[in-house]
Amino acid sequence: MNEYLLIESGGPPAGPASHRFADDAAQLAREGEDVALFLVENGVTGAVRGAMPELDALLWLGGRLWVDAFSLRQRAVDAEDLVPGARLVEMRDVARKLLSPAVRVVWH
Amino acid sequence: MVFAVRHTDVLLKLLGAPHQNDLVTSALRLAQALLDEGAAVQVWACGDATALTCAAFGDSKPVNVADRTVDHPSTVTLIRELLIAYPERLDWYVCRFCCAERGRSDQIAEVLKRPPSQFWQHIRATDKVVAMGVC
Repeated sequence: MNEYLLIESGGPPAGPASHRFADDAAQLAREGEDVALFLVENGVTGAVRGAMPELDALLWLGGRLWVDAFSLRQRAVDAEDLVPGARLVEMRDVARKLLSPAVRVVWH
Repeated sequence: MVFAVRHTDVLLKLLGAPHQNDLVTSALRLAQALLDEGAAVQVWACGDATALTCAAFGDSKPVNVADRTVDHPSTVTLIRELLIAYPERLDWYVCRFCCAERGRSDQIAEVLKRPPSQFWQHIRATDKVVAMGVC
């Protein structure tokens, strides 16, 4: 099993590519890979319930959804509005994950 | 004298225009978090990201008319302070071609200009690459 850290910085405001990227994360999870999708910057808006349906599939398939707490605060998004299963993280969590030798990272 | 790129755990490659979105904030936050975790980091700034360390910026941003008493540091100051704080574990490189093309060859002394033809050396001298932003 490979371990992936996928980082989405644009989210729904950036257009359909963000949905495709989240779908890629779900596809990796579907194939049994260890996947964490980290939403940062405008990407955090994708974690609002109903904004990005692909996230439901990711979580249902065992993938993890990380949401940048800083970006969320900057945009005045309430954590209670996020999809169930989303986990608020700080950049140190991302750094630790990134430094794990087995992890492959993609920033989008 | 042959230049040898110092080996790092992570290379952050900055490709995007610096103020189009939150890229600079994210890059600096990630660099700081990696350094706090004890990692060695190198940054390669390409394209418009070479503006971050342009010497002409000076130490502070222009006065904020809504808050004249507060000094807002420029990206030059933020990056310089980071480089001073982690001299053994942080290197900041700028693409020489991108600097010349954009009239930004006058960079702060703490960063190093490198020819794009040698970028491969930096890829070889790191365990991981995170490409942030789009040209």
